[in-house]
Amino acid sequence: MKRAMDGLKNMQSQLDTLVAPGAEDYIDQFNQLQDRLPGSNIDWLNDQRKKSLARFGRVGFPTLRDEDWKYTSVRAITSKRFLAEADQGDDDRTVDLSSFAIDGLESHRLVFVDGIFNPVKSSISESDEFKIESLVSALSRAPAYVESLLGSAMQDNGHGFTDLNNAMYKDGVIITFAANEKISCPIEIIHYSHAQLSISQPRNLIVCGQQSHGQIIERYVSGNTNNTLSNSVTEVVLEDGASLDYYLVQNQSSAAYQVCGIWVKQSPKSRFSCHTITLGGALVRNDLQVNLDGPEAHCDMLGVYSLTGRQHVDNHTVMNHVAENCSSREIYKGVLDQRARTVFHGRVRVYEDAQKTDAAQSNNTLLLSRDAEVDTKPQLEIYADDVKCSHGVTVGQIDEKSLFYLRTRGIGEEEARALLTYAFVNDVLNEVKIEPLRQYLEAVLRHQLVNAEDGEPAGEHEKIR
Amino acid sequence: MLEIKDLNAAAEDGKPILKGVNLQVGAGEVHVIMGPNGSGKSTLANVLAGRNNFEVTSGEVVYRDQDLLDLEPEIRAREGVFLAFQYPVEIPGVSNLYLMKTSINAIRKHRGEEELDAVTFLKLIKEKAAMVGMKQEFLYRSVNEGFSGGEKKRNEVLQMALLEPRLCILDETDSGLDIDALKIVASGVNALRSSHRSLIVVTHYQRLLDYIVPDFVHVLAGGKIIRSGDKQLALELDEKGYGWIEEHAIAA
Repeated sequence: MKRAMDGLKNMQSQLDTLVAPGAEDYIDQFNQLQDRLPGSNIDWLNDQRKKSLARFGRVGFPTLRDEDWKYTSVRAITSKRFLAEADQGDDDRTVDLSSFAIDGLESHRLVFVDGIFNPVKSSISESDEFKIESLVSALSRAPAYVESLLGSAMQDNGHGFTDLNNAMYKDGVIITFAANEKISCPIEIIHYSHAQLSISQPRNLIVCGQQSHGQIIERYVSGNTNNTLSNSVTEVVLEDGASLDYYLVQNQSSAAYQVCGIWVKQSPKSRFSCHTITLGGALVRNDLQVNLDGPEAHCDMLGVYSLTGRQHVDNHTVMNHVAENCSSREIYKGVLDQRARTVFHGRVRVYEDAQKTDAAQSNNTLLLSRDAEVDTKPQLEIYADDVKCSHGVTVGQIDEKSLFYLRTRGIGEEEARALLTYAFVNDVLNEVKIEPLRQYLEAVLRHQLVNAEDGEPAGEHEKIR
Repeated sequence: MLEIKDLNAAAEDGKPILKGVNLQVGAGEVHVIMGPNGSGKSTLANVLAGRNNFEVTSGEVVYRDQDLLDLEPEIRAREGVFLAFQYPVEIPGVSNLYLMKTSINAIRKHRGEEELDAVTFLKLIKEKAAMVGMKQEFLYRSVNEGFSGGEKKRNEVLQMALLEPRLCILDETDSGLDIDALKIVASGVNALRSSHRSLIVVTHYQRLLDYIVPDFVHVLAGGKIIRSGDKQLALELDEKGYGWIEEHAIAA
């Protein structure tokens, strides 16, 4: 009898070892939570969630052994126990968002606190130009509609974090831009991270109707210096001739972790521009994947990062030129101080039928400290023969001649350095078409650069002079 | 205004370039420094402006009763020293207008004057731009980015006109200019001549002196001023070449 018990125990431990390291705790959380997840009465959704969870159990969190995560360790995330139901502490009505307001910006505002839609803090006026609904509400009102949208832009299953989101998402937003309408003021989504060790997993769906023109500002902010994890998945579908400007502004505290996945599907003659602006956070991983599925579609992927301390940002982009006559332009630029790190991975894949593709990619980084680090990896896969593809990478320091020039004009050394640093990213920032947002970003960046000297104690990292 | 005494300076690799330069520049005077390539003309201009890739090994520079070599480049600028660069730097991302506004306000602040507001500044800069014949669109472009050689030099003269320095050092401002650009630049420079402003004009060619008439001409060769005179010296040089004067110097 005892032997049989031991045998069972062995089998059990063998089963346990089949679960990838770090996944078990989240599987337990799922098991406790599953009846309370939105749409728990919907069979197809439960199936999807369980499939995602099973895959997550098998693959777990990515590690440095994964080629796509070679330079980004998520140990800081996996070593903590993030909770899908973290203690909110105080009433979320005390959440004060006034300090995050952007001067002069008029917007339809949606607020998520630790991943849950907060109608009290949000302000959306009715409009013919678009429809906005929280995922929770859509799942109870029109589950079949949600089913038809989910997964429509995703070309693959992503990685462990994507599976985790797909298994456990609790809310999100569905935005539909009406065909032939041009939005008059942008939709602003504010994700506010708040509770200690909370994990927020928004699942968003954006549909841009034919010939529509939309603008979205998605902002990630922290209310304090708690350890938080945001793990979002967003799908964007652009129908024929649609256009969308998407601004992703990441400015969380140095204790906040973020994994952000965006999948985009573009129909003929659609135009998508994505600005990824990372100004803060402990560890930020962005996966941006665009499928140019219809002819004559155009995509701009623009990125700006300004990091210090031990902040780390990993921009992982995939540009799939599936159809002919499409163009894409990818520019990522950033500034690293102290021990900050950046990883850029840019894959451009030109399919066999995608003749007359015009794709350009560049990644330029300015290092202000000897201890900062850049890992950059352009990856072009071209299967068509009549295409124009370019890529370029630079890593540099402040130009001494420019610095001297400014100083001979009476500008002090520190100010001159800040000016040159800001100038480095200025061209990308100038492409922000919403003027109050551009001004806000400029002010935040300038403030960061001028105060760059007040970071960690001197001596720990050597400045480049 | 300026007194250079036995100035010795070396390049970063330790190679001596200036080997005992002596020069006195009084208020309102225009001094031209000529000399063959590699004689140390540009080094002298850069050392005066505070470029740190030359090491001053000995000597002294007194500017308006101050030890000039002891001042940071930005302080020299605020005290009224201006260097017009031989190769003005392109600075993408910084607009010309922004540079000039920051610059003039840094200088005004240093002098205890009030900073100029945007409207007053714009009026002033447009006036100065017209004076040096610069199109307004260049004000809004990034500093020198995509400017032709002539436009860059014109931009230097514009900055000089705006900042109204006490000591202007022009480092081969005439090189790379066609005759029309040369005339415009020279007339800009001439407009700045006054009894309380001194100019040091570094040039390789005599032709600039058809338009800017100097009080003194110096020949710099082998890191030393080997001959000084008035504008006649420049004409002689043009005729006989630098070889003549160098031989002369050795003979003497």
